[in-house]
Amino acid sequence: MENQRNRPSPSKFWTWFNPIGRETGGWAFILNRVTALGLVFYLYIHLLVLSQLAMGPQAYDNFLALMSNPMIIFGEVLVVAAGIIHGLNGIRIVLTTFGVGVTRQKQLFYGLMAVALIAAFVFAFRMFTA
Amino acid sequence: MTQTTAFPSVSAPKSGENTWLWLLKIITGPLLVILLAIHFIVNHYISETGLLTYSEVVAYYQNPIIPIMEILFLASVVTHSLSGLRGIILDLKPARHVLKILDWVLVIFGVSAVVYGVWLALTIASKGV
Repeated sequence: MENQRNRPSPSKFWTWFNPIGRETGGWAFILNRVTALGLVFYLYIHLLVLSQLAMGPQAYDNFLALMSNPMIIFGEVLVVAAGIIHGLNGIRIVLTTFGVGVTRQKQLFYGLMAVALIAAFVFAFRMFTA
Repeated sequence: MTQTTAFPSVSAPKSGENTWLWLLKIITGPLLVILLAIHFIVNHYISETGLLTYSEVVAYYQNPIIPIMEILFLASVVTHSLSGLRGIILDLKPARHVLKILDWVLVIFGVSAVVYGVWLALTIASKGV
């Protein structure tokens, strides 16, 4: 169990992200919540900007030209990394919810995050060299 | 302080979270891992230039599997994201009447997002006809 003092307090949202004194479970929680909030934000921005497609070829192709900016690509790498981390960590959550690997959560978490790290670097490399 | 290695618990519905809604979030999770992988691989690796022009996107949407896959993905991701967001907001311990308003806002927002997305997918598909 985490120290009472360091356990995230439900009503004080800034303590959700306090990395001090956390154990593995606390890190998993922080990663899951940060990526969740980031992905929700991205999802609805993504849906909104795709409306450019309904406005015809000129609008969409101009929009795509704007999106080739390296800062935008960097942002997209963060989104991809967040998706991979959230998805793989989510697999652990689903497995343990149905009683699989409950006593092996730490190993499961570290293993999945190692895969996430490698996958994120592969995507980052591909996206910056495309 | 006693330090044990086990995680405190596994995922379970929170107080104020309907069991079915929680289960829907749990089930749409792995479904999304699959659908997102398809969305990503098909959109950026199967199509020749990675869908980087308007005409290519329109041509791509002429295959009926594409809008069907995207709409299925959209419905799952909207459900998962908003039930997840509701779970996060529950941690802020909202008052009962605030939660009631929030539920309506989330439902209206989610339905609007799906309706808009279906309209957009069908509009893109119709541009090529």
